[in-house]
Amino acid sequence: MTEIYKISYVVLGKEHPGAIKNSDHRPDIGERVKLGKDEFVVAEIFDLIPARGMFHYLHATLQTAEN
Amino acid sequence: MDPIDVLKNVELFDGITPEELRTIAGICESRTYQAGELITKQGMPGEELFIVHAGYVEIIRTPLTSDSKPRTIVNLGEGQIFGEMALVDMGPRSASVRALTDHTRLLVIQRDAFRELCDENHHLGYIIMQNIAADLSFKLRHRHLVAR
Repeated sequence: MTEIYKISYVVLGKEHPGAIKNSDHRPDIGERVKLGKDEFVVAEIFDLIPARGMFHYLHATLQTAEN
Repeated sequence: MDPIDVLKNVELFDGITPEELRTIAGICESRTYQAGELITKQGMPGEELFIVHAGYVEIIRTPLTSDSKPRTIVNLGEGQIFGEMALVDMGPRSASVRALTDHTRLLVIQRDAFRELCDENHHLGYIIMQNIAADLSFKLRHRHLVAR
């Protein structure tokens, strides 16, 4: 069974509305995430609500990626 | 890509049988939008449910006061749905939606065909309405976290 991670992303330190999207893996802290045209780094991640079946529900806070 | 391969990874259809999924796939239409293209307009009648297959859309709200500017409240990517409020309450679109990226691919389901399926098959209808409620709840939790 394929696990699916539904993630709520909130961006810190920048005017950004945040995003919700599915991912095929649980992001790690420090991992780079692309939301549309912008790239960010995962600063915090936790389970928002308990998983149901193959769906996991996460929340991640992001910081602007520095090249 | 076969619509079934997209739909089986969408929370809205979690819990329905493969046969029911095939029926849903039969009423889906695929559309592609380029960045900046308007998909729905706030205040207009809404008769379609949308599923993001690839790319991103932005959900834009214009507050109902005359001097307020439109504001993007969230971006939605792969696997997310929008248009579900008008599907459930028959009201006008609560927000405008634009494609944020080129080649944004959506699956579109007409409200009448969707409701007909739910009326004919109560198992399907129950699961989908439960999943719509769960999706709205997740969006509300996201908004709370944006505001914290």
